[in-house]
Amino acid sequence: MITIEYWLILSSLLLAIGAYGVLTRKNAIVVLMSIEIMLNAANINLVAFSSFHVTLHGTRDPSGMVFALFSIAIAAAEVAVGLAILLSVYRRYKTIDVDKINILRW
Amino acid sequence: MRGLAMVALALLFISAILSVHWPHQGQDSNPPTNEEVARSLFGQGGSSGFALIMFLIGLLLLVALLGGVFLAKEEEKK
Repeated sequence: MITIEYWLILSSLLLAIGAYGVLTRKNAIVVLMSIEIMLNAANINLVAFSSFHVTLHGTRDPSGMVFALFSIAIAAAEVAVGLAILLSVYRRYKTIDVDKINILRW
Repeated sequence: MRGLAMVALALLFISAILSVHWPHQGQDSNPPTNEEVARSLFGQGGSSGFALIMFLIGLLLLVALLGGVFLAKEEEKK
């Protein structure tokens, strides 16, 4: 039997791994992937609490799964815009190293 | 240094989770069906559920797609 603590610990570890990737990696695509890992950590929390709603509150409520769906859709939009921006930045600077892209002026 | 900070953050989260007394019955043996998720999403009876939010997210996806295509094709015009 998997209790809710295990899901929350998995989610915490994913969040920490994502934050580590955002803070340490220089490739902007890897940074985007790390942000996605952090979003997935939040999704795991939402689905875990939704699955354990009966245990915690006595009633079934799939709202957490619905919120996870919204989160996945917003993550897809974020990746679409992020990758397009990275493509544009690469054309302008010939690099996607986040340490070298230090001005927002075009 | 940053790695150590993230390990400390993970340990902080884990210790916070383990310090809470969670019920140990485990997860629901009958997970919600697709129908229940759909009823929660689009509402049942008089309530509208999250239909408006679903519509807005669809709009957001469309705008993101158009913005992505616009940004990606911008250079070709020049």
